[in-house]
Amino acid sequence: MDRRDFIKTCGTVAVVSMLNRDFFSQALAQQKDGMFQAYKKALLVKQDGSPLKEEDIKPHVNYIFFYPHTATPCYLLNLGESIPPAEIKLKDGKSYKWGGGVGSKKSIVAYSAICAHQWSYPTPQYSFINYYPPDTPSETTKKAGIIQCCAHLALYDPKAGGSVIDGPAEFPLASIVLQEEGGNFYAVGVLGKDQFQQFFDNYRTELRQQYGSTAKARELVDKCIVMEVDKYVQAVVRC
Amino acid sequence: MSKQWSGVNRRELIGGAVAFGLTAPLMVYARTQKRQKAQVVIVGGGYGGVTTAKYLKKENPNLDVVLIEERPFFMSCPMSNHFLTGLMELTPLCFSYNVLEVKHGIRVLNDKVLGVELDKKVVRTSSGYIAYDYLVLSPGIDYDVEDKPFYKESLVYNPPAFKPGSEHIYLKRLIEDFEGGDIVITVPPPPYRCPPAPYERAALIASMIKKNNLKAHIYFIDANERPIINSEGFLSAYYDLYKDIATYITSAQVRDIDVHKRVVKTSHGDFKYDLANIIPPMKASGLLEDAGLLRKGQKWVEVNPLTFESSVKNVFVIGDACQSYLPKSGYAAHSEGKMVAKIINARIKGKEVKEEYLQMICYAMVSDKEAIMTETAFRYDTVSKRFVPTHREDNQRKESTAKRYEEWARGLWRDLFG
Ligand SMILES: Cc1cc2nc3c(=O)[nH]c(=O)nc-3n(C[C@H](O)[C@H](O)[C@H](O)COP(=O)(O)OP(=O)(O)OC[C@H]3O[C@@H](n4cnc5c(N)ncnc54)[C@H](O)[C@@H]3O)c2cc1C
Ligand code: FES
Repeated sequence: MDRRDFIKTCGTVAVVSMLNRDFFSQALAQQKDGMFQAYKKALLVKQDGSPLKEEDIKPHVNYIFFYPHTATPCYLLNLGESIPPAEIKLKDGKSYKWGGGVGSKKSIVAYSAICAHQWSYPTPQYSFINYYPPDTPSETTKKAGIIQCCAHLALYDPKAGGSVIDGPAEFPLASIVLQEEGGNFYAVGVLGKDQFQQFFDNYRTELRQQYGSTAKARELVDKCIVMEVDKYVQAVVRC
Repeated sequence: MSKQWSGVNRRELIGGAVAFGLTAPLMVYARTQKRQKAQVVIVGGGYGGVTTAKYLKKENPNLDVVLIEERPFFMSCPMSNHFLTGLMELTPLCFSYNVLEVKHGIRVLNDKVLGVELDKKVVRTSSGYIAYDYLVLSPGIDYDVEDKPFYKESLVYNPPAFKPGSEHIYLKRLIEDFEGGDIVITVPPPPYRCPPAPYERAALIASMIKKNNLKAHIYFIDANERPIINSEGFLSAYYDLYKDIATYITSAQVRDIDVHKRVVKTSHGDFKYDLANIIPPMKASGLLEDAGLLRKGQKWVEVNPLTFESSVKNVFVIGDACQSYLPKSGYAAHSEGKMVAKIINARIKGKEVKEEYLQMICYAMVSDKEAIMTETAFRYDTVSKRFVPTHREDNQRKESTAKRYEEWARGLWRDLFG
């Protein structure tokens, strides 16, 4: 193990050791395959700056926040029912353990909102990738309770670690590991195949325009403002 | 890009028989030493070829991948109707092949393939012969005009703009210079490249005329009975939005074109024009005929529908040039390229690949702001040994669909050149 690897592993240990022991050992095991990446622990807050509480996360509302970088969007969802852990299998044969929902009902999940297909993501102008609650099925695919990207119709299952239900995506959505502590929620890392490199490679110009510089867009956050997606995006494009 | 391997110097090219099985320009084929690694040669740097090259290297960075393309840069036909009618600049449609070399280590040869010698497993270019272990041919279409000389002359005067590049630039200029009068647009019988493209183009030209308040009338002459895809969406747009400025003539055959008198003669009468976009019938690139992959009278190359392999082992034909259950579209060529890359990489490793999910998405503008779309998912039925389509059309024209169309294209470009 070289020095950088060692520091990375120590970082992971420091963060995940605040979670239960079971998760601690799982996360370490996953670290071997590079499937879990710990980032700065960041508090989820409301737009007024106060910590986001469980009762603020209404069932089936699509919330957005940015983690682990200033510019990388994530979706927060309360799926209204207990979401058990799952083994997420990738097409390349790898797999990882996903911890399921958090909160008192284990119903709260979070995913990277960068589509794993060709990296469509919610911008202040448009969001082509969105959550479809159980009572609002997609017009095109007639499926509900899913995350669907309207660019090429990738469908993901928020109840199963963001795994691919249908469509052209090769990988699940990366999930954001949430931790609840004393009624507050923290994002602590990313599980699965994140698409951050492709995201920063592809959107250099756009990110420079929005954030001033790509370095700023890449900055790691320690606080995440959570808001409803249609308050952030001008046009939520459903299909 | 000059006519050379970008990133490979001339000495390597000529003396590179070790790596590439290449010879000096005398074109005497000799393989001096057995190559260590499998070499994949891809002909055609369009949607199919670029995808194959990129995905081959993505999965197997050590593989030798050579992409041969005669054009200096990639230009997308998808969204090119936007460019023709002033909704988009040309630059966003164009990409440099350098990216493929710099980011992925794909060797790009900017040259014309003059022939393919399947028995010797070599491709002939003006720089020499290139040996392959696996060959992927994605050279696209040619216009099928041999037996109709009037079409041939028309290609020069009235560019179809169904092959990317100078045809688009010239047609754009003709459209910009058009000040009013009669416009003729013709649609050939299928199969041709991109079924909705002529219908989209007609709608966008009509929309442009309306917007610019030009005194003009469009005669839209279709060899088919109705638009062959999204028929309801196109027809309602024509009848709701363009009824006063366009006449849609169906089941009409083009019989002659007088480019000097500017008249198109059809089975439904003669049409004089001030501006014409004559889209001729199409067939697979002539290169495939020369290679012996097209039998006499055949217009498209028959392939195994599950693998896109031709009748010759390890020679794959993808994209518009092949006869497949998928429509001739960029999205299909992209999916096929990905699939063939997987198959080749698996064969090299002595593995099998699982059956692939294939899906088609097609968008088309019907006005300068609104689009319609269709989505088809295909499943292979192992009992009937056929592909079963599930087809869904959204024929309601919407601005949000137009935005999705743009995102659809940008996604593909990100995937290929990002
Ligand atoms: C107006 C228009 C709009 C379209 N819109 C859409 C759309 O919205 N969605 C969609 O999915 N599809 C669309 N298409 C269709 C799409 O462009 C084609 O289906 C796609 O390009 C086919 O890919 P290909 O690889 O088979 O051929 P191409 O992309 O044409 O690539 C073939 C390449 O091979 C090269 N080549 C040929 N012969 C040789 C040779 N001898 N030596 C070296 N190089 C050679 C050519 O220069 C070319 O670059 C549209 C097409 C048109 C014309
Ligand atoms: S980018 Fe989301 S489906 Fe393609």
